[in-house]
Amino acid sequence: MDNLENEALSTQHSGGAVLECKDLSKSYGNMPALNHINFSIEPGRIVGLLGPNGSGKTTLIKLVNGLLTPSSGEVLVDGMAPGKQTRAEVSFLPDRTCLPTWMTATQLLDFYQDFYADFRRDAAEEMLEHLGINKKQTIKQMSKGTREKVQLIMVMSRSAKLYLLDEPIGGVDPATRDYILTTIITNYNPEAAVIISTHLISDVEKVLDEVIFINQGQMVLQSSVDQIREEKGMSVDALFREVFKC
Amino acid sequence: MLSKLLKHEFRATGRIMGPLYLVLLALSICANFSIRLLDSSDARFLNILGGLIMVLFVLCITAVCIMTLVLMINRFRTNLLGDEGYVMFTLPVSVHEQVWSKIIVSVVWFIATGVAVCLAALIAAFRVAYVGQIVEAIREVMAHITAYYAINGVGFLLEFIVLCFVGIASSCLQCYASMAVGHSFANHKTLLSVVFFFVFQFALQFLGLSGAFSFEGFNFGGPQAIHAFMLILIGLSAAVGAVFYIITTQMLKKRLNLE
Repeated sequence: MDNLENEALSTQHSGGAVLECKDLSKSYGNMPALNHINFSIEPGRIVGLLGPNGSGKTTLIKLVNGLLTPSSGEVLVDGMAPGKQTRAEVSFLPDRTCLPTWMTATQLLDFYQDFYADFRRDAAEEMLEHLGINKKQTIKQMSKGTREKVQLIMVMSRSAKLYLLDEPIGGVDPATRDYILTTIITNYNPEAAVIISTHLISDVEKVLDEVIFINQGQMVLQSSVDQIREEKGMSVDALFREVFKC
Repeated sequence: MLSKLLKHEFRATGRIMGPLYLVLLALSICANFSIRLLDSSDARFLNILGGLIMVLFVLCITAVCIMTLVLMINRFRTNLLGDEGYVMFTLPVSVHEQVWSKIIVSVVWFIATGVAVCLAALIAAFRVAYVGQIVEAIREVMAHITAYYAINGVGFLLEFIVLCFVGIASSCLQCYASMAVGHSFANHKTLLSVVFFFVFQFALQFLGLSGAFSFEGFNFGGPQAIHAFMLILIGLSAAVGAVFYIITTQMLKKRLNLE
């Protein structure tokens, strides 16, 4: 029954927003983390979810993934509430490396291939090879940077409808940052939406189509990057510094 | 998807349990030689060596049992409630499938450990004549049960096996429920998991005692009563397991709190 309803909803929303937040709020106890957030994201867009530390970016991403349940309001992925079906369409990069450390890269490829119908094993293997990562090595034996790259490769090797990348470039050197951004741009499904959550704006600015600013759980702005440049005559980084001036 | 979860869960746990069983097997064979040695030789060195191997064998049995328990708890804690939870809970599978995969794999390992320990003990004590004697002894016990209690020995054995399965699953679920509740808090997750385990244990004992009193005056005589008693035990165990299952799945769905 659930499936039928979900399918019906999915068809109804096909062609529409890939992600919609309607009056979405989340509080931890008495502490509000997100306050009546409203926005929608169309397919084919690369969106920067920008805000200072603790502004609610990770909470929002967890809600979209169904790792948290909203206190009020709703979040819809391809017209469906987060669940088993939406997870097949969302490719998520958490803000930490959380791959099972005992697995080798090959076992990890098996794992992703088993669970995700849209996993492109060839693409993943090619990227691993390109980086010279030994597939027989366990995740535990890899350096922190390599682990992050492996995780990104797994996430970007899926043909998902929505990519949620939480701090993909936090804590890595500039060369790796470039590699990560290039990987995202060259591997994402062009009909999909990509959400990149970060506070390192100058690094990601060049790849973004759109930005959402959030601060203290409130949405401050949703705008296209071109619009910001044309109307305000400044870069996203400069606007961010102005809006979030301490 | 459950079958895929099971496949990867067995892969993750088998790499630990497999080698442990192999060590146990090797030590049980050594223990067998040691027993013969201790029986036949008077040489001091050989006697000490034999004794040491026996100590190692007993330690290994203990280690296998403890490891099965630790693995059951640790897989749930690290794989679902630790950082790996970000990978597991974003897979296109339901929370029910996640919990079932953990229960099934844990029950299988508990049973396998039980069988492995029995086998190891048999190997250690092996003389060809023993096999015949053991088979004979089992047959005799069954015959006695059938004759004395006038109940179906095989039926009783089957009920006992089912009770073991349900009981183990129910105990695993008690641990899972405690962890799922304990880890829903922001701090002291492990400590709270232990506290909730004892809270559940206390609640069960309290209910068990009240339940026992309600049976007072109930006539348990007659052969059918033993079957009825076993079925009641299985039913109660399953009911307790079901309550813990609901607690676990609801907490994971509604109150998941990954760091």
